[in-house]
Amino acid sequence: MPDEYANPQVLVSTEWVDKNRGKTDKIRIAESDEDILLYETGHIPEAVKIDWINHLNDPVVRDYINADRFAELCADRGIGKNTTVVFYGDKNNWWACYAFWVFRLLGHRKCLIMNGGRQKWKAEGRPMSTETPRYPSKPYVAGRGQKSIRAFQKDVIKHMKSAGRLVDVRSPQEYSGERTHMPEYPQEGVLRGGHIPGAVNVPWARAVNEDGTFKSRNDLEEIYLREQGLRADEDIIAYCRIGERSSHTWFVLEYLLGFEHVRNYDGSWTEWGNSVGVPIEKGGQPAPALT
Amino acid sequence: MIIVTRKLDEIIETFQSVEPDIRLELMLDYSRRLPPLPQKYHAQRDAGVNRVPECMTPVFLWIEQDNGSVRIHVDVAEEAPTVRGFLSVLIDAFEGASREEIAAAPSDLLERLGLSDLIRMNRAMGLASILGRIKRAAGEAAG
Repeated sequence: MPDEYANPQVLVSTEWVDKNRGKTDKIRIAESDEDILLYETGHIPEAVKIDWINHLNDPVVRDYINADRFAELCADRGIGKNTTVVFYGDKNNWWACYAFWVFRLLGHRKCLIMNGGRQKWKAEGRPMSTETPRYPSKPYVAGRGQKSIRAFQKDVIKHMKSAGRLVDVRSPQEYSGERTHMPEYPQEGVLRGGHIPGAVNVPWARAVNEDGTFKSRNDLEEIYLREQGLRADEDIIAYCRIGERSSHTWFVLEYLLGFEHVRNYDGSWTEWGNSVGVPIEKGGQPAPALT
Repeated sequence: MIIVTRKLDEIIETFQSVEPDIRLELMLDYSRRLPPLPQKYHAQRDAGVNRVPECMTPVFLWIEQDNGSVRIHVDVAEEAPTVRGFLSVLIDAFEGASREEIAAAPSDLLERLGLSDLIRMNRAMGLASILGRIKRAAGEAAG
């Protein structure tokens, strides 16, 4: 099929999940939402909850949980090393992609995304439950983390200096420096506005359709390849404000378009825009690179 | 000294006396108890009137003033139970309170409820801005 994604096997449909959700010995469905209470109002009956703040982030240091805590998190939810975890969530799978990225970073191999997320599942009238399922705990030994998908500030500085391609997935207003937070979201703790010099601006939600599913490969190529002139064989770093929106774009570039090396800069603008001495560019979108 | 309504004090005490997990359950209960928007405001809501711009989630807010007391009406999507819960707490706490009391309510309510560690900044600040709006509206009417 000419319009098939580069790695179609990482996406499953709502229909597939509905058919296979009973296979809880092999598959664990995990809901990740922005709203911390949304899971409790109803979820796919077999789904466990993974909260991006209280489960994936270290409570003290600005970092993700360590391997031991990750192993605990998985064991608690009956996720073994070979369990396939299917992520879905609210807001076009924004947080599901973030949880997917963190699971890959911490070394879980079998991760999938349910295309269309919670919105599509609900719109199709598929079953939901408010009961929290419990699964027998499985001992979990975390595999080797996939560190290559994460960029730290020092990596981004190096990348910027060598004119590497950067994708800023925030809103055009955040990118230009007119504002330091999302439209309709209040101010969030950033001292300076603008973007990392050389970055192009592709708001993350351009990659999704109205119904919450990802756009077709051809439509995605139109945006990232033809419009922005990104190439699948070059190093790309994506960032946003705290690294959540950019994990969505990371997923699109890495899996749907098959880019060879994409990193997510989770420090993102809340680190860069508060750092002393790093360069900042203000203003609108640069002219697209010639290809 | 900040004046806090007696009702609000009770709510804060309840939240503070339990573990974080239970606090979230309390919020969920509150979100389920959020009174529906009165019919008379449906047309305005459908026309996009009175939307709170600071919230990414559509939140519609009406503040009625009547003989020195204030009545709050809201409409919030089911997909935003945290916002629903917080507004439901405010409606419960401010029931029958005077404009002056509402205007003087603490701005750091999420912290006092013990929820600020559980709800990250972007959402917490959206909630704070809703509270700010209610307090300002009450204060203007009071002053």
